[in-house]
Amino acid sequence: MKNNKGYNLIILFCLCFLAVANVNAQSDWQAPAEENEKLSPFLFDDDMVLEGRVAYENSCTSCHGTPGQDDFTPMSPPPGDPGAEAFQAQSDGSIFYKIKMGRGTMPKFEDAFADDELWNIVAYIRSFNEDYKQELPNMEGVVIPEYAMRLSFDENVDKLVVKIFAEEVPQPEVSVSAYVMGTFGKHLLGKAQTNELGIAYVDVDPTLPGDEEGKINVMVKATKGFARAKLQQDLAMAKPTERHSAIEGRHIWSTDRMAPIWLKITFFVSVFGVWFALLFIVFGLRNIKKAREEA
Amino acid sequence: MNETITKGHFSEEQIDKDLLKNVNWGGKFKLWMGFLTVSLIICLYYYYQQLQNGLGVTGLHDYVSWGIYISNFVFFVATSLIGMLVSSVLGMMKVSWVRPVARIAELVAVAFAMVAGLIIITDMGRPDRLLNVFIHGRVQSPIVWDIAVVVTYVVISALLLYIPMLPDIALCRDKLNNVPKWQQKMYKSLSLGWNSTAKQFRLMNRYTRILLVLIIPIALSIHTVTSWLFAMTLRSGWDSPIFGPYFVSGAFVAGCAAVIIAMFFFRNNYKLKEYITADHFDRMGKLLVLVALVYVYFNINEIIVPGYKANTADAKHVHEMLYGHDSVMFWLVQLGGLVVPFLLILFKPMRKPLPLTIISLVILAGAWFKRVLIVVPTQLAPYYPIQNVPEGWTGYSPTTPEVAITVASFILVLMIITVLAKLFPVVPIWEVKEDMNHKNN
Ligand code: HEC
Repeated sequence: MKNNKGYNLIILFCLCFLAVANVNAQSDWQAPAEENEKLSPFLFDDDMVLEGRVAYENSCTSCHGTPGQDDFTPMSPPPGDPGAEAFQAQSDGSIFYKIKMGRGTMPKFEDAFADDELWNIVAYIRSFNEDYKQELPNMEGVVIPEYAMRLSFDENVDKLVVKIFAEEVPQPEVSVSAYVMGTFGKHLLGKAQTNELGIAYVDVDPTLPGDEEGKINVMVKATKGFARAKLQQDLAMAKPTERHSAIEGRHIWSTDRMAPIWLKITFFVSVFGVWFALLFIVFGLRNIKKAREEA
Repeated sequence: MNETITKGHFSEEQIDKDLLKNVNWGGKFKLWMGFLTVSLIICLYYYYQQLQNGLGVTGLHDYVSWGIYISNFVFFVATSLIGMLVSSVLGMMKVSWVRPVARIAELVAVAFAMVAGLIIITDMGRPDRLLNVFIHGRVQSPIVWDIAVVVTYVVISALLLYIPMLPDIALCRDKLNNVPKWQQKMYKSLSLGWNSTAKQFRLMNRYTRILLVLIIPIALSIHTVTSWLFAMTLRSGWDSPIFGPYFVSGAFVAGCAAVIIAMFFFRNNYKLKEYITADHFDRMGKLLVLVALVYVYFNINEIIVPGYKANTADAKHVHEMLYGHDSVMFWLVQLGGLVVPFLLILFKPMRKPLPLTIISLVILAGAWFKRVLIVVPTQLAPYYPIQNVPEGWTGYSPTTPEVAITVASFILVLMIITVLAKLFPVVPIWEVKEDMNHKNN
């Protein structure tokens, strides 16, 4: 038992040391060298910045504030302002890695965003740095396969089937993410990897509300290395929605369809009736003219 | 009743002379028209801007898509209803004191109704698509009814101004020899060869009577339908079954005030003190008391009933009005623009020409802002919260072009009234003479 106590002390000491070391380390967060040098395969353009902005505003503003405004949430270690010089001083690969892996209170976004979406966010963060020049990877000798994608729905197992080919050859191990496109942005349906037949399956909740024919608009992205593909398509894989007017059955005449016949008759009879009387008078003015000769 | 109206007894020549005096193109007229024209051109420049850049130059947005243009439209339609009340309702009841001022009321009606239609067009971002309303209009839409009745009302009012004026136009044709050629020609063709034969009078009276009957349902429906544009929408503050009569009664208040102002102006500028007497003002003041009383009653209903039930949205609306965001304007309009003037004109001295005219000006201004209070606040309180939109969209304030275009509508009304009052006698000469003969016999 005595020994045990000694061990406990040592363990306690080690924990304290680790804690202090950790605090020190936190102020200096380094991505692994290999990750540090990673470059974006995509040229940061306005589209990427725009998509990145939406993602940033939804997922990052709460802690990091608006870039360039220095309004991040005070915490220890501080999240920092992505527009600030210190933040921008790191490489693209480092930012990418830190968002993807997280540390401590900085959440890990690996599961929330696909790689290309992470690069969107990096593009957005970089858009606050006027001096920034994007370094693109040397693509010489690298062959980027061009993906073709085919979508279908297997209603026996309620799965979205994504097939990926490059020049008719099935592509294994491609990361696939599928989204439902809504009026106010996209919602993740699921993520999967293609098997050796180039097929990935994504679960679909069959009770999803679709349009009148049960169609929903899905968008599927596929990425592997530098290769990527995107396809958006209407697929009948959800529950058909029968649309009813909110006032159906209750209204008398405020209908969306044709005006009821009684209303048409009332309207046109009154309008034409009045105008008939007016025309009668206008033409009757001639009679006044004729009547001038009367004795 | 008649005796109190025209004190003096004049010869027919004297009457002709007095009442035809205003038909001329004097220097004062030219100055006034010049002023109006210049102002109109300035305002039209803003409309040109709006045509070029669209409704973006106004303060309108997704939430408040009806701003002062539509408020102004409602105000104009309202004011024009007075033609119906004075010439038709009172005319058919043989209330003879209104005869000398009936034409003024009709002038006001025609001018305001004509411009009301134009205001609707200014509220359109793409006026070039106006025709689509007629081609693709849906019979079940109150907007289509509104267009139908506004157009009809303009035509009826114009006919009702024109037909009873035939004898006077003939008088102009016969007596006015020193007016420009085109004007003489105009009188000649407009007078339809009027010769004061019995048959001509019979026809004129018959047509006038048909119009007087027709105009009552048309006038009632024009403003009822205007109120339905709001009342048929499920929105707090508009969702009210008494909106029709509420609008109509408010219309008479605004119209009476407008006619009183016009009467005062013509009486002083055209030296018509013997024809439009202090007694006319007294009676118009009493008429104003009556219609204001009805309107106050409807106003109380509009607040008391939803205020008691206090369902969520209506309660919010009532609170905003009574002591919330819109309360300053609300109390200014209700007390300053309606209740206090109403109480004042209960007293006879306040119904003298000058005080009554001043009070009418206040009432008319109040009536205009009242329309803004009806139209705008409701749109700022939608059932879904206003969120994720530009900051300015939580409120509404009209921009300079919007104000200028609204001012332009008033300038147009003044121009129409001015020109018509310079082309034709503003007091019906033959009716005054008829009255006089009637009395003398
Ligand atoms: C819950 C709060 C929180 C959220 C949400 C959050 N972060 Fe962080 N972030 C932090 C904190 C705290 C740190 C500092 C972590 C550390 O140094 O250990 C940090 C650090 C970072 C860093 C490294 C900064 C540097 O200077 O090295 C990056 C890059 C980063 N966050 C990006 C993001 C992005 C992009 C998002 C949104 C997708 C995001 N963060 C969302 C709290 C957050």
